Amino acid sequence: MIRYRLLGLLTDAFVFALGFFSLISPFILPQAMSLSSQTAAFPIMVSLIIMLCLLIMVFEAQSSLLDSKMIAFLAVLTAINAGLRFLENAIPGPGGFSPTFFLIILAGYFFGSRIGFLIGAMTLFVSGLITGGIGPWLPGQMITAGWVGQSAVLVSLLVKQLEWKDKPGEIILLAVFGALWGLFYGLIMNLWFWPFLGVGIGQTFTQTATALENFQRYLVYYLTTSLIWDTTRTIGNVLMITFMAKPVLKIFGRFQQRFSFFTQEDRVQP
Amino acid sequence: MNAIVWILWLTATMTFTLTTRNPLYIMIVLGGLFGLGNRLAKERNMTPWVLPNLRFLLTMILLSTLINGLFSHVGNTALFSIPQSWPLIGGDITLESLIYGVINGLVIGTLYILFNTINLALSTKQITRLIPHAFHPIAVVITIALTFFPSIQQRAREIKEAQMIRGNPMKKISDWIPIMIPLLVSSLENAILLAESMTARGFHKQTELQSPRALVSLILAAFMIFSGWILQMYRFPSLFFISLYILGTSLVTITLLTIGKQANVTRYHQETWTKTSMFSAALIGIYIAGFAFLALIGRLSTLGFSPYPRLHLPAIQTLGLIFSLIPLLPILVLHHD
Amino acid sequence: MINFNALSFQYPQSSHKVLDNVSFEIPPGTLTLVTGASGSGKSTLLRCINGLVPHFSGGTITGQIRVFGFDPIREGVEVLAKIVGFVFQEPEAQFVFDVVEDEIAFSLENLGVSRAEMDRRIAEVLRQLQLQKLRYKQINQISGGEQQKVAIAGALVTHPKVLILDEPTSQLDPTAADEVLRMILDLKSQLNLTVLIAEHRLERLLPYVDRMLNLTPEQTVTFGLPAEVLSTMEQVPPIIEIARKLGLSPLPLAPETFPNDSLDYIPLVSRQAQPTPIDKPETLLSVQQLSTNLGDKQILEKINLDIHKGEVLVLMGPNGAGKTTFLRSILQMIPSSGTIIYGKVHLENMSFPQIIQHIAYLPQNPNDLLFAESIIDELKITLENHNRDINQVNFRKFLDLFGLGDQGDRYPRDLSVGERQRTALAAITVHDPEIIFLDEPTRGLDYQAKKALSHLFHQWRQGGKSIVLVTHDVEFAAHLADRVAILEDGKLVFTGKPVTAFTTFPPYQTQTAKLFPGRGWIIPEDVVSNTA
Repeated sequence: MIRYRLLGLLTDAFVFALGFFSLISPFILPQAMSLSSQTAAFPIMVSLIIMLCLLIMVFEAQSSLLDSKMIAFLAVLTAINAGLRFLENAIPGPGGFSPTFFLIILAGYFFGSRIGFLIGAMTLFVSGLITGGIGPWLPGQMITAGWVGQSAVLVSLLVKQLEWKDKPGEIILLAVFGALWGLFYGLIMNLWFWPFLGVGIGQTFTQTATALENFQRYLVYYLTTSLIWDTTRTIGNVLMITFMAKPVLKIFGRFQQRFSFFTQEDRVQP
Repeated sequence: MNAIVWILWLTATMTFTLTTRNPLYIMIVLGGLFGLGNRLAKERNMTPWVLPNLRFLLTMILLSTLINGLFSHVGNTALFSIPQSWPLIGGDITLESLIYGVINGLVIGTLYILFNTINLALSTKQITRLIPHAFHPIAVVITIALTFFPSIQQRAREIKEAQMIRGNPMKKISDWIPIMIPLLVSSLENAILLAESMTARGFHKQTELQSPRALVSLILAAFMIFSGWILQMYRFPSLFFISLYILGTSLVTITLLTIGKQANVTRYHQETWTKTSMFSAALIGIYIAGFAFLALIGRLSTLGFSPYPRLHLPAIQTLGLIFSLIPLLPILVLHHD
Repeated sequence: MINFNALSFQYPQSSHKVLDNVSFEIPPGTLTLVTGASGSGKSTLLRCINGLVPHFSGGTITGQIRVFGFDPIREGVEVLAKIVGFVFQEPEAQFVFDVVEDEIAFSLENLGVSRAEMDRRIAEVLRQLQLQKLRYKQINQISGGEQQKVAIAGALVTHPKVLILDEPTSQLDPTAADEVLRMILDLKSQLNLTVLIAEHRLERLLPYVDRMLNLTPEQTVTFGLPAEVLSTMEQVPPIIEIARKLGLSPLPLAPETFPNDSLDYIPLVSRQAQPTPIDKPETLLSVQQLSTNLGDKQILEKINLDIHKGEVLVLMGPNGAGKTTFLRSILQMIPSSGTIIYGKVHLENMSFPQIIQHIAYLPQNPNDLLFAESIIDELKITLENHNRDINQVNFRKFLDLFGLGDQGDRYPRDLSVGERQRTALAAITVHDPEIIFLDEPTRGLDYQAKKALSHLFHQWRQGGKSIVLVTHDVEFAAHLADRVAILEDGKLVFTGKPVTAFTTFPPYQTQTAKLFPGRGWIIPEDVVSNTA
């Protein structure tokens, strides 16, 4: 059992290292490149690596999906979450406001890192399928959304440590976490997307540029293109978590027992 | 064409698009993709497809041109200059750097449109069926989510109506709790019923998918491909990284196939191999092999193109032109069928 | 052969056994009808046969089960799935795929059957159920009855020996339900299946039943021939109720075997069955020239109907006749033309929140209404929505009316179907509206819950409220109606006395009316009161 857990942790670490490296590679790798034809292949290679990471993560996480209850549970939650993306217009809120994240965060917080990861990744995959958004950008989106759910387990550890369960502090922590991810998600998504624009990578002029200069360029790009959206997303996350976290967590609590197994322990053979 | 042939075609087109920087070739590919996309969109009775994609392409080109023009001051033909004191963007704006940006935009735009075409060509079901057996639980999750999805909006509407019947004014965010909660509860209740129905129909545990050995070999394979990529970027001899790529890819394939075999299920839907499909697959195979061979021995010199230091017309080759016609293959097949 | 030997079962976190020392033996190739109020353990018992209990539910089980040589407790659902097909109550909740043939293939995929064999078996089962036309259809675009047939096909495609159906028709309208039941009977003899079915609609099945199994909430189980078991049961279909009251023996299970001549020697008092008419009807709501279009299709055509104070008006009609649209048009939830006058005001000029102050509406799925942590919270929320003072209401007294007086603190989702429905009704009427619209309130309810509902209606009527009841359930309607309106194809084809409605129009004839044509009896009580 401990060996499995260790393997799981190692997997997470490996995937995170690879993902993180691919993320920041536009800043550190240009010096290595000369062929201008690498420019376009670069983002494709990055998404290929991310796709491999995703395969590993999903393969590891699906070991918790062995019975039909977990499968149906995950599927339904994913469908609701993907559906919420299309209800965006219906729920009143500022532009860029997305009700998707709070469920991923709450699911990760309540059901643990594997379920959190799967719900995040599957939500993005299913909505990609529905909107015809399959492409090299998808693995990056999936793994980032997966990380959102996976990392929510940190909040639950913190809450346990502080003994804030069912106290206002629990909701505040979750809201802060949601706010952080609201900003962070945009930042990371832009990093995935950046090489696709061909900016700052592999171009003849940047060969001599330092990582710092590249980073400055990224900052300009980030500030101009996505900060406003990220801010509204952050506000949206905070609002959704503030209002919805308590009732949603209560429901998760009510269903937790019904989705888990008792037979093995409780059954008495005649 | 079946889904697997489509994926082969995608690989071939992507390989070509990513290898060339010659704007003429790319424009031919683009033209072909627009023709194909238009045809597929018409077949599926979809709203105009060409126009939004064209708009997107132009935006990409504009953005890329602007960014490259502002940041890159290399090139001999200066159009005007921005004072050097301006941080990051100060310097000459050159024609070459603008053209470089255009080409960049063209390549990236082509990639997007290529994937948009694939999204048109393959149904969500076909894509779901491409998920390997090794990920059977995930494939089932996605199938159920897709089945369940259409009912969600309907349910949300019904619940909203029911809440209005109770006098909910539906104005603030908190007024949405009465919609969110019943939606979640009824869906989760539904999930339990569904799970029961699946179990009753013999859906069973897939313990063999838990194999730690398979996990380790997947990680190993990912690491191989990753190191191949790094070695390639630091210009190590091609023997190193190509063998790493091949090794990694085979390891992934073998691992997934082995686990998939152990998954004790069959699938009702499988891609059918008609004569045209097999013929197309063979043709694309020859295309990829031929292209890789010719590119490696340097017979496709016109693939590369750089506007620096002074802008000039890109050269073309008959072979290159032939290779850039790859998007036409599905059109011919569709026509034949 | 299915054999239960001293079987007991207790759910996890439950304080009592649902099944207590149950033993019976069902011969192969028979049809067994399982009856009992909700909560009596019908579903649990059926789920023991394929191992869902305890393998899916969890819990503690003792005793033995044998199903054609298999042991569900030891071998589990995966093994039993090969010989037991299971069909559930909610048609739309049991589907994995969105296309009919894929759904039917699911159990074969799980068994690892080859593709060619799957093709053959699917074609075969589609032929047996005459579903060939639906093979490539989207499941969410076929009717509930068809969905249930697809579920049956999915259960039969593995060639099981046993078919179990857990209230397969409770969510269907009577026509679809009849069709599904007829199909099950056909399949049973065609394939020599052993069938167990839990069902409220006894009258349809009784003539064909070989064995009956009746469960009570007190955990007593009676198993035997239908006539034997029926004689021990409290709630029985009208024909049995009449036969019992008349002292007939043996009990006639089908109208054909009812000895009609037996009435000849029973003295009859001639009196038409008729609820007390209201002397001078006072019109509360007047619908004039109401027409509604959805898209290009005209759903309602120039309907004129008055709703009187303190009456129960039953609105009936085939599927798609426009009954629900009628209710929604009055409430201005969908645009329509015509005038609707409430008192002295035109509803067209009122806002939706204003309208629902006066007219409450129970939609088809009452679950959509409930979300709070307790029944009392639900009531408070409605009052707050309507800006009413929550301190003015005595919740306990109000809930007494719904039979929920001491349950105010319970979580609505934990209640039984009937209680949940009454909670929903309480939540939409706590602000004291004058008129109450109900859309199919008896769907999925057992006899007890229906009785509680009809008790509630009586009290509302006494309190001067008007009730408009849309229903397919003729027996329920016949007990309650003051007036009946029949809607067909968007037109009002009949408005008048219940006795006329339930005796003259064949689709709406009650079982009593069918048994005693020309006498003007519509409910068993009519017969009894006339023959006593």
